[in-house]
Amino acid sequence: MLGKPEWFQPRKYLGWGVYPKTWQGWVYLLIALAILAIFQVMPFWSNTTRAYFTIVWAVVLIIDIADIMIRMKRDEREKIHEALSDRNALWIIIIALIAGVIYQMISSGLTQNVQIDWTIIIALILGLATKAITNIYLDRKD
Amino acid sequence: MKTHIEERRKKLGLTQEELANNVGVTRQTIISLEQGRYNPSLQLAYDISKTLKAKKIEELFEMK
Repeated sequence: MLGKPEWFQPRKYLGWGVYPKTWQGWVYLLIALAILAIFQVMPFWSNTTRAYFTIVWAVVLIIDIADIMIRMKRDEREKIHEALSDRNALWIIIIALIAGVIYQMISSGLTQNVQIDWTIIIALILGLATKAITNIYLDRKD
Repeated sequence: MKTHIEERRKKLGLTQEELANNVGVTRQTIISLEQGRYNPSLQLAYDISKTLKAKKIEELFEMK
């Protein structure tokens, strides 16, 4: 697509995603941000047009960065490290989400009106489904 | 795991970077292997043995 994997390296210590490794990566980042900025100052555009172009450009960038991350080469040691750090991060996220649901149930239950944030439940169910699908795929693969 | 990668690599006049490029890993992985901190896959052990012209994998890798 737009960017090349060799221009970037994966984020290890500050979240997920990629950051520039070469000057081409920095140029990519600057152009991506410049285009976003240009959309905000176009004098003849309505707010709707501006929002439309901003959303479309943001989606293009998200897809492109996802593509870069998928095509990025990692050796076996890096893959193991990435898998373990992502697993640990996921466990903390799951524990925090479950604690959040329990807190919501207890705090709302005290007022006799149990309310749960269903987006948390949906996130947990999607995670369960992803794990199951991944394991089915891996069991069949090797 | 104890390895003899460093001695063999130096004997052949290869740098860590060159060996890494030859077997398709990062230099950091070669450093970890040489220090015995990382257990490689059979494929990587085989590739390193081949690049370093070892007759057997056991010439480069031995279990402690």
